[in-house]
Parts: sequence; C-alpha cells; structure tokens
Amino acid sequence: MPPWMSSGLIYASGLALTAGSITLLYIATRTFNFAVASMATIGFYTVYTGVALYGGLPYQYFPLALLVGAITGVICYYGLNRPLLRRQAAEITLMMSTLGYDLVLLSLIQMYADFLTNTYKLFPRRVTMSLYDFELFGDRAAAFILPVIAIGILMILHIFLTKTKFGVAMRATIENPVLAGASGINSDRVYLVSWIISGGMAALGGAFMAMAMTGTPVMGMYTIPLMFAGAILGGLGSIYGGILGGFVIGLTEYAGVFLLSQKFGAWVLGYRMGIPLFIMAATLLIFPRGLSGIPLFKILKSLAGGSLGGEKRGVSA
Amino acid sequence: MLTVRKLNAGYGKLQVLYDLSIEVPAKGLTVVVGPNGAGKTTLLCSIMNIAKVFSGEILFEGNSLIGELTHNLAQKGIAYVPQMGNVFAGLSVMDNLHMAGYMLSKAEADAKAEQMTEIFPVLKKFIHRSAGTLSGGERRMLAIAMGLMKNPKLMLLDELSTDLAPIIAERVMMEVARMRDELGITILMVEQMAKRALEIGDTAYLLVSGQVKYSGQANSLLHEPELCSMYLGIKQLPGQGETKLSVAEEGSEGN
Repeated sequence: MPPWMSSGLIYASGLALTAGSITLLYIATRTFNFAVASMATIGFYTVYTGVALYGGLPYQYFPLALLVGAITGVICYYGLNRPLLRRQAAEITLMMSTLGYDLVLLSLIQMYADFLTNTYKLFPRRVTMSLYDFELFGDRAAAFILPVIAIGILMILHIFLTKTKFGVAMRATIENPVLAGASGINSDRVYLVSWIISGGMAALGGAFMAMAMTGTPVMGMYTIPLMFAGAILGGLGSIYGGILGGFVIGLTEYAGVFLLSQKFGAWVLGYRMGIPLFIMAATLLIFPRGLSGIPLFKILKSLAGGSLGGEKRGVSA
Repeated sequence: MLTVRKLNAGYGKLQVLYDLSIEVPAKGLTVVVGPNGAGKTTLLCSIMNIAKVFSGEILFEGNSLIGELTHNLAQKGIAYVPQMGNVFAGLSVMDNLHMAGYMLSKAEADAKAEQMTEIFPVLKKFIHRSAGTLSGGERRMLAIAMGLMKNPKLMLLDELSTDLAPIIAERVMMEVARMRDELGITILMVEQMAKRALEIGDTAYLLVSGQVKYSGQANSLLHEPELCSMYLGIKQLPGQGETKLSVAEEGSEGN
C-alpha cells in the first residue's frame, strides 16, 4: 500500500483509541480529560523503554502500556476527579483539573526522558519507533496489526458494554446516575472502571501513534487538538462514534496532506492539522450531532428501498 | 418502619423542608400530598440521600439512614421510583429489570424478572424493546416493576400519575394498592392525584411550604374542606358530602 496509507492507518488507529478514551470519560463522568495528551505519551514511553532496554518488538509491550495508562487513570480519579465529582463540581472545573494533572504528568515525562538519557545513554527526545517494527506483506507490519487491534478493542468494549452485567450497569449509570444508585449500582465503581479503560485506551493510542510519528515528550500536546477533534466529530455521545471520529480524523490528515501536496506543493505540509479540522467543521455543519448522529440505517434502508423500487419498476416494465 | 424526625433538608444552601416529622407504619400505604413546591419530592430525595440533610433524623427499622450512600439503601430494602427518569431509556426492558435487581444473582434476577412480566403482562410484549420506546403508562408499569425487583420492604413512589391519561393513572393507582394488599409492601407515596391517592391510602400527610399541615387518616383529609380546597384543589359538592376533582389538581406537579 502507498506510504501515506500505511502511516495513516497506524496513526488513525492510535487517534481512534485516544478519541474513544476522551468520549468514554466525558459521557461517564462529564470530564473532558486533557490529561489524555500525557497519558498517550506515557504509553509511547512505556513501549519505548521496553524495546530500548529489553529488546523485542513494540507489540510485546502494548499490554504494559495499557496497564500503565490504566494506573495513570486511577491516580487521576482518586486524586482529582472523585473528590471534585463528590463536591458536584462544574464541568469547567473538572476539565481544568485534568489540565493541571496533564502538566504534572508532562513534567514527569520530561524528567523521565532525562533519566533515560543520563542513565542509559538513550535518545528518548526524538524516537522513530517504526525502526523497531518488522515487515509484513512487503509493508510495515503495524499497518496491518494496529487497525486489527483497534477493531478488536472496539469489539471487546462492545461485548463488555452490552453482554456483561457490569458493562450494562456502566451504561445505566452513564444514562441516569440517580436511578442507577437507587437500583443498588455503585456509581463510584463505574467511574473508576471508566478511568481505568479510558487511561488504558489513551496510553495504547499513544503507543500506536508513535509507530507513525516521531515520539517526543510533547507528542501528546502536539496531537491533543486532533484527539478532541475526533471525539467531537464522533458526537461526544457515543464511544463508538468517538472511535470512528478519531479514525476518520487520523486518516484524513494523512490522505489530505498527500493529495493536496501532490497538487499544490510541499508547503501544504505546514497546514496538515488544518485538513482534518476543516473536515470536522464541515461534517458538523451538515450533521450537528457528529458521526453518531448520522442516520446511517435510515440512509441504507432508503438506498436499499430505492434500488428495490427500481428493480420492481424494471420488472413491471 | 420509617420515621422522619425534625428534618431540615434542601439542595445546596436552599432549605426546602422545615422541622418535618412523619411516620410510615409497616405494611401500610402512606400518602404525602400538597401543592407545588411543598417539598414532597425533596422528602423522598432526603430519604435516598439525594437531597442535602441539614439536621434531623431518618430512621429505617430503627437505624439511621443519614449519610448512607444511595446504592446501599437499595441493599437495605428501600426501592425508589422517581417521578422523572424512572427507567433507563437506552436499555431494553429486560436489561432495565436486571439493573433494578442488580444486587440479585443472575438466577434470582431471571426468576424475579419472569415474575414481573406475570404481574405486568404488558412488559412481556416489549421485553427486548428499548424502554425509551414505551408509552408513558408502560414506562410507569416498568418503573414499578423495577422497584419490585429488589424485593423491597419499603417503596418510595414519586408522583406516579404525572403526565398519564386518567384511565392509565387509575390503573397505576390500582397496582399500588395491590402491592400493599397482596405483597404486603410498605409504601410511601407522593402524589399529585390527591383525591384518588387519599382514597386508597391509609395514612396521609399534607405538606405546605416544607411543613406538615395535616397528619392523620388518609380518608379523613378528604373531609377537611378548607385544606382540600385551599391546597389540593379538591372542592366538596354542595350538600353531598362528597368530593370532586378540580382541574387545578390535574395540572399540579411536584417539586
């Protein structure tokens, strides 16, 4: 496949997970999590530390990234989010608290990068993770593996939310916390699990994205507008919408840059972030509720109905 | 079974209830009526630890409920059916029933859900349908069934008849009376359809501006023409000693 497509698929898979992470947390706890930026970077550094110090493939360290991200989420929940939720803090307060947490994490990441440089003589401030990848079908393996993992996570999440008692309880709490509490569901536990899943997804997303872009301590800060763009494009009301939104944003960034630079020249590269943001704005103008607000089934049904109608007319004619 | 003593409660800094005391006897139907803004819903929210209790006592079977987390109250045998948002609209009817019986084992919840569909046959038809697609009356039946899923000792019902057609509201009231008579459940019901509620209730409290204006037998309140007319919109028919429902009553809502 063309390089823009393989890189785009890798990057979009990562962005999809981070956008899904933002959406899940927002619908569960009303918190716009800015710390997703540093959580993603932490995911990348977890995988980088593994391959740089202990060898092997990046994929081996993905579960570890998931775990570290989940722990970061738990710390944020107990340290900041839970006390604020109990005080019935406003959405803006919840959001700003995660920004503060993000800055703390960013400082820790910078210190960790220095630690890797000083102790192990590594160069962790500009890392090309694709060098640690292997080839599959004549292309980078990540281009095949990461979308599959992202879809797998989406399916596991779907099964968890629809088929397990706790998953359904999560949906119930998200929809109506008062009634859920009156039903005996411990909303505290639901919020904690939301942070665990969200933190894990953000870290794994960061590890994915670093397979397509240069890994730096500020890579999360650089890409957070697009993570949020993905969540907003998805409609903010559906985790699946968020994941799809992130994927569309990621892929259009790479596809748009490639197509436009071919036509107008390399100067387009400087405006690469503008392309997916423009697509997001255009989509929201047509579908204000984002991708999850598109009546897909209705459209498909009407299309199917139209073609059926055509056939019928054809027969009668 | 439930004792509320000198309760002062509200939301944030806003006080709604003032030194309110009520007694809910076991296996009886206690009705709380009153005009808009009287604090009827706040009373139930205070019991469920949703509203803020400033001072006073709430005792259930002799144990204080103050500060008890809402999800623990369900485990103690208290079921709460809110006025609005009383079903999970995004979940199927079956999932709603299972969520209502969250602390039951899978086998127990299945058996209980089966029992609920026998008590409320209308739910059986829509068991796999999203609760958001049910009509107002069907939703209310589902909400009551969800309350019953917990095998409650005490049920708190908040304005079950709101927005329902009179004939459906009457059916809902009959179900409430049946829960007391056949299942022996203690019920504390806040109701805007005051006349009907007082007819089926055992004990009644009239709440006005967060304070109790009347307490006693439910039926007796219907023979207090001044209170009925002033606060409940129920006017006595001249010379008949009976009551009739006024338009004002139908339009009233809880706070």
